[in-house]
Amino acid sequence: MREDAADLHTPPPGNRMVIAVLAMGGFFVALYLMAHNVGLTGPIVCGVGDCGTVQSSVYAKVGPIPVSAIGVVGYLILLGLACLGVQPIHRESSVIGAFLFSGSLGGVTFSGYLTYLEAFVIEAWCQYCVISAIIMVLIFLATLPEIPRFAGRAS
Amino acid sequence: MTRFYLILGTITVLGVGAISWVVGGNVLGTAVSDPIEVEGLDDMQVLAELAQGVSSGDTAAAVTIIEFGDYQCPGCGGFALSVKPQLDLMFVQTGRAQFVFYDFPLIAIHAHAFLAARAARCAGDEGQYWEYHQQLFRNQSSWSGRQSAVGAFLGYGEALGFDQDTFEGCLKSDKYADVVTANMRLGAELGISGTPTVLIEAQGQLRPVIGVDFQSIEEAIESVLEDVGAARD
Repeated sequence: MREDAADLHTPPPGNRMVIAVLAMGGFFVALYLMAHNVGLTGPIVCGVGDCGTVQSSVYAKVGPIPVSAIGVVGYLILLGLACLGVQPIHRESSVIGAFLFSGSLGGVTFSGYLTYLEAFVIEAWCQYCVISAIIMVLIFLATLPEIPRFAGRAS
Repeated sequence: MTRFYLILGTITVLGVGAISWVVGGNVLGTAVSDPIEVEGLDDMQVLAELAQGVSSGDTAAAVTIIEFGDYQCPGCGGFALSVKPQLDLMFVQTGRAQFVFYDFPLIAIHAHAFLAARAARCAGDEGQYWEYHQQLFRNQSSWSGRQSAVGAFLGYGEALGFDQDTFEGCLKSDKYADVVTANMRLGAELGISGTPTVLIEAQGQLRPVIGVDFQSIEEAIESVLEDVGAARD
């Protein structure tokens, strides 16, 4: 409780605010792709690249689940954690920091794998996937200041 | 913190707006996608007037190749993409026959077939019925499994350079629902139960073709042309 009281006077961590904004953007990018995957939109609007080829490839799904749905859920979790992490009582929370870091590490690894598939296996690019991958890298970079928080607490 | 929530709120509003706009464009809305009640279809004369095929080629040709087809049927897709081009080359473009397509959407198994037939007719208003007809068949696997095909149909129109407002207005209405319904009824009256079904018409007589491969149809047409020639002699 003493820690919570002290947190009330701590300014909100800027990196978590950045993560929340980026995750919100990524959420809508993934949501658009998911709406397309479940047939709620017309042909995918793709200014650059060949989204149709990527989205109709076997790699657009993991089993029955569209990759975009995984993105929607992933971004929502990161958004929720980041918003929680800027609240006065959680600003110094190392647990939230650890979850944000490990979540974004998983996200950036998965995005890296999907980007590899686009480049070398499918040999086509989907602009939304690229945008999502860039957002995920930025989120990961924004989680780096969390390392001292949870690493310091662990030691 | 206020600025943070303002930024989040702005992204949310923009995101929700964009997604709603994209999804809303795909909503069926007022688009009629099932057969409608048409008065007088029991009267064969009325039915013959209402049921309208779309033709290509010389209307004065001695022989008419008639197809009853469904835009969502894979067999019709195969026919449109491999057999019809050969028929066009061999008979239609040489003036020996005309080709007429009648809509026969199998609505019990193909949810988007009726709307596709109407969409093709709307494309006819833009002067590109046959281009759209082929476009629908070429992309059949892409739109037939969707929950809604409206967006896809609008997209194909956009790709062909249609006036989007006019085309969307036509698609999201009941225009041509009566003609497509009448065509379905005509097909049923002729005993058609599956698609594609090909008939050869000459001198007012209809002859069904067994098989929808090019060779079967070619043989049927050549035989009819011989009969027509013999009758003239």
